[in-house]
Amino acid sequence: MPIIETVLLRKVFRSIKREPGVRGALAALFSREYEEKTAVERVSFSLEPGEIVGYIGPNGAGKSTTIKMLTGILVPTSGTVRVAGLVPHEQREANAENIGVVFGQRSQLYWDLPLRESFELLRSIYDVPRDRYRANLAEFGELLDLGRFMDTPVRQLSLGERMRGDFAAAMLHDPKIVYLDEPTIGLDVVAKEAIRAFVARVNRERGTTVILTTHDLADVERLSRRIILIDEGTVIYDGALERLREEYGTHRTLVLTLAESYPEIAVEGAVVESREQNVVRLRFDRRTQSVEGLVLRVLEQYRVSDIAIVEPDIETIVRRLYLEGYGAPATVSP
Amino acid sequence: MLAGRRRFRLEPYVEFAKRAIAREATYRFDVFTGLASFVIRVYLLRAVWVALYAHNAAPPGLPLHAIVTYSTIALLMGLLLDIDQTRALYERLNDGSIATDFMKPISVPLYFFADGTGEVLFHAALIVPGLLLALIFVHIDVPSAGVLAAFGVSFVLGYFVGFFLNFILNCTAFWTLEISAVQLIVTWLTDLLGGQLVPLVLFPAFLAPIMYALPFAAMFSTPLLIYVGAIGPDRYLEVMGVQAFWIVVLGGVATVLWRAGARRVVVQGG
Repeated sequence: MPIIETVLLRKVFRSIKREPGVRGALAALFSREYEEKTAVERVSFSLEPGEIVGYIGPNGAGKSTTIKMLTGILVPTSGTVRVAGLVPHEQREANAENIGVVFGQRSQLYWDLPLRESFELLRSIYDVPRDRYRANLAEFGELLDLGRFMDTPVRQLSLGERMRGDFAAAMLHDPKIVYLDEPTIGLDVVAKEAIRAFVARVNRERGTTVILTTHDLADVERLSRRIILIDEGTVIYDGALERLREEYGTHRTLVLTLAESYPEIAVEGAVVESREQNVVRLRFDRRTQSVEGLVLRVLEQYRVSDIAIVEPDIETIVRRLYLEGYGAPATVSP
Repeated sequence: MLAGRRRFRLEPYVEFAKRAIAREATYRFDVFTGLASFVIRVYLLRAVWVALYAHNAAPPGLPLHAIVTYSTIALLMGLLLDIDQTRALYERLNDGSIATDFMKPISVPLYFFADGTGEVLFHAALIVPGLLLALIFVHIDVPSAGVLAAFGVSFVLGYFVGFFLNFILNCTAFWTLEISAVQLIVTWLTDLLGGQLVPLVLFPAFLAPIMYALPFAAMFSTPLLIYVGAIGPDRYLEVMGVQAFWIVVLGGVATVLWRAGARRVVVQGG
């Protein structure tokens, strides 16, 4: 049985219509004209317990709006949501006990208090049994290396330290589900990796269901096998990360370093993507062109000092999807 | 909220209050400057009243020692009543962190109440040193135990009037996000029409209907007049009834505003 299920979820925001300029601003004070903006439209998906799903989309695609509806702080305009058997916006407090939340841009720790005190407060909010609390704190403290700054007020922590504190805070009460909203934003590579390892471990060992929204597709590649792509409020892909790569990542790039200078480069079966001095990037479709044949044709025509083949990363594929369109939504159950 | 009916636990709110006390204690400099400014105001107000009384006939029922007692006790009360204990609501609405409060299994208004009460309780500890310091400069009349008890009850009622007033002001941030102008006006009204600076009996008679049509007198004036004996035991029930009336009215307004504001957040996303 799915732990999270949304059916035809829709959210429309209404705001007072505003013309540009000072006159517009003044007119808006008295205006009763509204404009509607659809943030989320026909979003349906379901998650099994223990899944990690990357929820991906450009700015303003409706990621945060969806997460807010799942956490119960936003009421859908229409459609249904069920999280662990509850309707979040109708049973906000009960739902809150099942979930943990980490926002990269916003801390849930208490600013003026030492980290330890924030944890103690969360213990009493979620009514975590003492022994469970101690065990979790010991484990997370070690995994996230919290020891050095447990007694430092949160406002004095670095971003990386604060984020590690936020992750521990979100997991202290053994939530069934965690929502991670841009959790690695602004972090350095080492801190990012520490946090990814932590999420992977909690998911593996405790079976926590994870929804991850992020701009950094490396987070997704490292953590999840399934992604949901959302653009302009609707789901445009829901399925395995691998399949996305196979179906949409059909292009490879051949990078040539030329040994001599040529006025013009043209190779049958490939398109010149870019050329910077003697480095040329040729794009080809792996379904219609064999690498062998292409390389042979290149070597017949030009003197080359180096050749490399570049696989498309998931970021390039997603960017292509957003820029070039994608046809009908490719929805498959995982 | 039918299936989600949950057992109420007081513990988190006690913890919120305790952490608020701990938080206030970290701002030690504020404590010292607050006390210093209190003592200076006590001294200056006394000087003003002494000068005024030297050149004017004392108003009936308010001899110099009574008015000095009145203004000193008013300033002591101000140590607690001037605190905007729900400022956190305004701040969390402004920086958007109210969203994380709604994601916790707590009653959010009760959280603000607990947090504010902790803050006020911390400052209540300043009453004793404040009073001792004040006694260096002024003499204060001490009424009978019965009057002191009535003053205590009336003060607590006044505290709730102030709490709901602040809560209502901070609730307007759901719509405007900017409340400093309104707050300034209310602070002035409280100072003047609440009887904190000058006893309301000294105001021109034509202002009386306005003063009693507004809730501010219920904060300062009522307990103070009980303390100095200008309101006798025969009128306790009546004046405290008026205070209770304001608590009900302001509490009702606060509830309506909170519900509308919270609804706005869940429908419009804040």
